[in-house]
Amino acid sequence: MTEGKTRNERKITARDMARRDLKVLDPIGPDELFPLPPPYDKAEEQPGWKELSEKAKANAVCTLDGIATTKLPSPRTPEEEKKYVDQFLEGLKKLLSRENNWEFLQPLTLSLEYCVGCQTCADACHVFMATDRRKEIYRPTYRSDVFRKLVKKYVKPGGQLLAPFTGADVELNWDTITRLYELAYRCHLCRRCAQTCPMGVDNGLIAHEIRKLFSQELGWAPRELHEKGTVLQLEVGSSTGMNPMVLKDNVEFIDEDMQDVTGFSADSPFDKEGAELLLIHNAGEILAWPENPGAFAIILNAAGMDWTLSSHEVGYDGVNYGLFYDDVQLARVAMTHVQIAKKLGVKKIVMGECGHQHKAMMAVADRILGSDAIPRESALTLLEEIVFSGKIEFDPSKNDFPVTLHDPCNIVRNLGIVEPQRRILRYLCPQYREMTPHGVHNYCCGGGSGFAVMSPFNFTDWRINVGSRVKFKQILDAFADQPGPEVKKYLCAPCSNCKGQLRDLLQYYGALERSGITYGGLVELIVNAMVDIKEPFIHWEIR
Amino acid sequence: MFASALLLLSYVLLGIFLLAFVIRSVRLARLPVHLRWELAPVPHEKGKSHYGGSYLEEVNWWTRPRHKDHAAEAIYMLKEIVFLKALFEHNRKLWRLSFPFHFGLYLLVVAGGLVVIGGLASVVGVEMAGWGVLEGGLRLLAGVGYALGMLGALGLLFVRLTDDGMRNSTAPVTYINLLVLLAMFVTGLWTVLAVAGFTGHVMGFAGGLLRASVPTDLPGMVVAHLVFALLFLAYLPFTQMMHFVAKYFTYHKVRWDDEPVTAGSKLDLELKKLLNQPVTWAGPHVRADGKKTWVDIATDLERPQEDEE
Repeated sequence: MTEGKTRNERKITARDMARRDLKVLDPIGPDELFPLPPPYDKAEEQPGWKELSEKAKANAVCTLDGIATTKLPSPRTPEEEKKYVDQFLEGLKKLLSRENNWEFLQPLTLSLEYCVGCQTCADACHVFMATDRRKEIYRPTYRSDVFRKLVKKYVKPGGQLLAPFTGADVELNWDTITRLYELAYRCHLCRRCAQTCPMGVDNGLIAHEIRKLFSQELGWAPRELHEKGTVLQLEVGSSTGMNPMVLKDNVEFIDEDMQDVTGFSADSPFDKEGAELLLIHNAGEILAWPENPGAFAIILNAAGMDWTLSSHEVGYDGVNYGLFYDDVQLARVAMTHVQIAKKLGVKKIVMGECGHQHKAMMAVADRILGSDAIPRESALTLLEEIVFSGKIEFDPSKNDFPVTLHDPCNIVRNLGIVEPQRRILRYLCPQYREMTPHGVHNYCCGGGSGFAVMSPFNFTDWRINVGSRVKFKQILDAFADQPGPEVKKYLCAPCSNCKGQLRDLLQYYGALERSGITYGGLVELIVNAMVDIKEPFIHWEIR
Repeated sequence: MFASALLLLSYVLLGIFLLAFVIRSVRLARLPVHLRWELAPVPHEKGKSHYGGSYLEEVNWWTRPRHKDHAAEAIYMLKEIVFLKALFEHNRKLWRLSFPFHFGLYLLVVAGGLVVIGGLASVVGVEMAGWGVLEGGLRLLAGVGYALGMLGALGLLFVRLTDDGMRNSTAPVTYINLLVLLAMFVTGLWTVLAVAGFTGHVMGFAGGLLRASVPTDLPGMVVAHLVFALLFLAYLPFTQMMHFVAKYFTYHKVRWDDEPVTAGSKLDLELKKLLNQPVTWAGPHVRADGKKTWVDIATDLERPQEDEE
């Protein structure tokens, strides 16, 4: 066996996915990434990449690029391998059937059959860009082509016969399916590629469907998204593991703390029947960024809103990782959210600052929940209404520091909620500036599609160095007029998963110390600008 | 004998084209409605589409009337079809080759349409006023169409062979399709230039198809080119070149389909049927048995039961 050769030595093609003579198909390392601007341009000053131990290598399949996301089974015999390959093939057929995949059959079929290989998408993908457009396996069409070729060869009538004509030259074996599994987790599903495709082909959707096949047929999915994600959420109430009792304790503590700091009432009502709105946070906020739910409580109370939180299992965690890998789990979580809201008799469900919760509840699950489901709306629109209602007095000079906005893909590109958050920032932040590009053309933070919560094996190195590279450069460019640490700057990211990723990114590079950049949500800036708060609400730290 | 054979062959090839075209289009149209997967910007969002906004930006959006700008959607699509807007904006280098290629095809489609109208006019006995001008115009239209198509096809072949990314994702059949098109453009241009009265011959052939009697005096080059063009037409619905139909669905039925479910709507009824289909996924957490429906599966939480109060 040989190690996979690096760039310029050979060009990786789709058929290489099946190669068994390569331990690693196309290894990734820091030397293959475009250089960051100063002071982050010296590779020797950056944290090194984690070297996997032999034990870890034995547990993970690192044959794609040397990175692993999931502990996969370890078949010991060719027969065992064949069993998994057969399961994959069975799943492939189900994915293309009306009965098992009506949810996405039409867009999937269109994306599989009508890509013309024009490579317009290649210039839109931040992962491919991170490698200076050199890493073939990260080219958005590479994954899709491999999958397309498998469909053509093994599912379409006469596929084997027509293979030389259709170019379906990928063999199906254990290495192919495990590499394809990992490759489905090198795409953030941000859909920037789809936005530029002249044909309307969606490589992000294909990655999503590959993940779904593995989960719904073979039971393969990253532990953080499945066992510690949707399964834990449905069993205990939250993917954080927080049960209703712990939740109430935490929120009570946050409320008291916020009241002390701001002098405003931060009481969060629980299970108030018939309330106007049920606010569902990403439960990660309560544990990792308590100032966010605290700020929400201050704003909603100050504006006199009739609102409630739920203490019912699942009802206090808007997370829905099913969106990223499994339609069944997506439906189970979304239906539970709506049932809880119905039981409370609220008039609407408001999504907290969580991007994928927005997309799951407001769009993707809409056609599962039924026509009698409680309506769902974004907190960003509600906050805009409150800020401009005159119910709260603001002093924008309190936010007189450089602020830029990260657009969460799931709220902006995927739902078209673009302006409410901007109108707030333009009003409350005198030094607000946009990133380039921004709005619906933004770049993913690098934590999209669940990556922000995934840190197994050496995956953190990949998601920070590769996944977030373009975003980090964008952030630095947005503050390029005042690059030094002496000027404190705020990166506003109204999405929990984005915040998780940006926290890891800024910590990794020491961006607070070296560039004065911290991050946080939108509500924190709103509260910070309130005339009557006692102390500054923004803290120049990274946590 | 030859004219009859040509007539029969033409009918068969046109029949294959029509049948395959309809079947493939209907197959796409009849795929089940899917979960929402819209992508901003959505051009029918009145007053918001220029920055990518949607109706979800409104507080209590479900209580507000929706104002869809269908004209904006049509204009967007027209720009996309005629000028290849997305390619122009995101891949200018390729647009320089793809635009002449497609525009050449459009000119040929227009010329073909005029030929059919001319043929129809001759069948019903309508005298064509200004025939000389029309003939000259049609000849120019076809000539320019073939020339642009030829240049575009040559350029696309070149770029697919030389660009690493494109070469890697180009199947052999794509080269074949491009070569077939190139051959059609070259023979077409040659025929237009070499055969005097080209337009009249082609219009005569179209009229002959409509009255089931093609002229017997068609020059060999014209016959060869017409047969080649008809063969291409019959082949087209079996290829990826049907993307001009698929684009309707990728844009209108996926990217821009942001319709929420409302009680009693056609969408609501269709979804209820789909949700009641049995599921056979084998993943252990799915807990499907081939009988449980999608709804059964989605509501099967397997959580500890709450105590009865």
